[in-house]
Amino acid sequence: MSNTNIIAVYEDEQVLLKAIDSLQSNDVKVKDVFSPFPIHGIWDKLKQTTRLPYATFIYGAIGAGLVFAFLYWTSVVNYPLKFGGKPLNTLSFIIIMFVLTINIGTLLTFLTYFIREKMYPGKKVEMPVPRTTNDQFAIVIEKDADMNEDQLKKINSLLNDSGAIEVKESTVNYEA
Amino acid sequence: MYNTRVRGILIQGNKSYQDVSRDIIKPLNDKTPMWWWITAFLATGALFWGVWGFYNTITVGIGTWGLNNNVAWGWAIINFVWWIGIGHAGTAFSIFLLILRQKWRTSINRAAEAMTIFAVMAAGLFPLIHMGRIWDGFFIFPYWNTRGPLWDNFNSPLFWDVVAISTYFMASFVFWYIGMIPDFATIRERTTSAVKKKVYGALSFGWIGNARGWLRFETAALLLGGMAAPLVVSVHSIVSMDFSVSVVPGWHTTIFPPYFVVGAIFSGFGMVLTLMIVMRKLYKFKDYVTDGHLDAIARILTFISLIMGTAYLTELFMAWYSGSEYEMFTFMKNRVTGEYKYAFWTMLTCNAIIPQFFWFKKIRKNITMVFIMSLFINLGMWFERYVIVVTSLSRDFLPATWATYQPTITEIAVFSGTIGLFILGVLAFFRFVPTIAISEVKGVLKETTTLKSFTDEQH
Repeated sequence: MSNTNIIAVYEDEQVLLKAIDSLQSNDVKVKDVFSPFPIHGIWDKLKQTTRLPYATFIYGAIGAGLVFAFLYWTSVVNYPLKFGGKPLNTLSFIIIMFVLTINIGTLLTFLTYFIREKMYPGKKVEMPVPRTTNDQFAIVIEKDADMNEDQLKKINSLLNDSGAIEVKESTVNYEA
Repeated sequence: MYNTRVRGILIQGNKSYQDVSRDIIKPLNDKTPMWWWITAFLATGALFWGVWGFYNTITVGIGTWGLNNNVAWGWAIINFVWWIGIGHAGTAFSIFLLILRQKWRTSINRAAEAMTIFAVMAAGLFPLIHMGRIWDGFFIFPYWNTRGPLWDNFNSPLFWDVVAISTYFMASFVFWYIGMIPDFATIRERTTSAVKKKVYGALSFGWIGNARGWLRFETAALLLGGMAAPLVVSVHSIVSMDFSVSVVPGWHTTIFPPYFVVGAIFSGFGMVLTLMIVMRKLYKFKDYVTDGHLDAIARILTFISLIMGTAYLTELFMAWYSGSEYEMFTFMKNRVTGEYKYAFWTMLTCNAIIPQFFWFKKIRKNITMVFIMSLFINLGMWFERYVIVVTSLSRDFLPATWATYQPTITEIAVFSGTIGLFILGVLAFFRFVPTIAISEVKGVLKETTTLKSFTDEQH
């Protein structure tokens, strides 16, 4: 893996989307894109997916099971206390199960998100183009050691032709 | 498919992305304005009075309240339900409008969510304090104890309440915080102050805003929102069951859960309207919270107000139609007429009649009128809870025990304390957090400012 990236900076997300198309049709791999807000449709182009919904579903299912097990154990097994002639194992458990399923699902989804993103309070980061949190957009292309002059030239000219306001090389390792 | 662009231009003034960041962050960098200090001073005063009320209640006991054997629930539960209702706005705005793909939510959701957090905090104090012996509060947790172990009654709505409200608080907070992370990163990269860079840098959790980060962000927001949406419905349904599972006339009705949920969203939107008008005036956010936004909220309120009116009439009708003389007495003799009729008629006027003036465009466009009407809605929703709690309890089955209820100074102090807490929270939010979701506004900026070219494409 090389530490150097080629960065192209844009001022408009539509121009950036077209640039990605032109790069990809020329067999240049786009490594990453920076933007101040989510650009819909970009994930299809970069073939990025997330399994977060599956994780949430599993958390919720396990949570519901555990909560029911606890309610059943306390009310039926450990201290069966009859009141009002109602059954020990009652339908009204559903309410607590429902709410706590959401509780567990939310909390664990939140934590999973941060763990997968490697984010934590106080993390120090360096951004290749700091203005991408504000009003600029950037395409990142990894500069491989085995890229020859011609390939680099082609990438540079593609980026310049695509409407980038700046094309530069950066050694900022933002993935750390 | 949906036509989500019917609302026209959402952000006025042909803003660039740079303008959006600058405008919204500006109040955080400006000198703290005078109105802020004055309001903070007054709110702190109210909070201190509330602390006195708390102290009085805990050291002397619940006897410092105006409760009696019959009216065993008073201002504490009224205010609790009122605050929880207000706390429904944030999630209603963020999540229902997110699911319905209403893009106009972007300028408002952050403030509505902040309001939710502080309103739920204020609400949570009431169940805590009305226990009387607050030091035994941990009994509510189902922990392994030496009394059997005797577990909680998991069939009690009061226990459901605790579970639901703590979950609601946690879920709202998590949703609110995740939404703020990209904006904290924006401040981190823009600010020139070393302190701010450090603080907002820490709060931003190292957000960089790359494609995968945004993908997970969007997915997480949708998942958290999707899970919180049923929670909104369940929280206030559970609150209503505190009443409706009893056999007290006026409470024991099946209409309660939907009626409470709608009422909660009504009061929440009312409070959002109040707060938005204040915010856009003080921070000159007219380009972001446009007249169109206020108009949209007013229209929703008109509709919900009709549902409220229907609910009130349904209750009255059912009291007669059920043939239950106790129900009939509570509704007709003790609410519509009788000692507390002023409360009933205030409720009906503020919630079902006044918002109907929003049918007139002239009134919807007059921001002062809209503001006054939003205050009436907040008042009306308070009276609704007052009517439900006090009239049903003061005169129930046994005339010998009939009693009237007046709040004492301690109860008033506790209520004012929660108002102080809420206002201080909102002020802190105004001062230290971007009050509008910067990244979300940027996301809808282009497609709405270039609306004309979009509609041209459609034809």
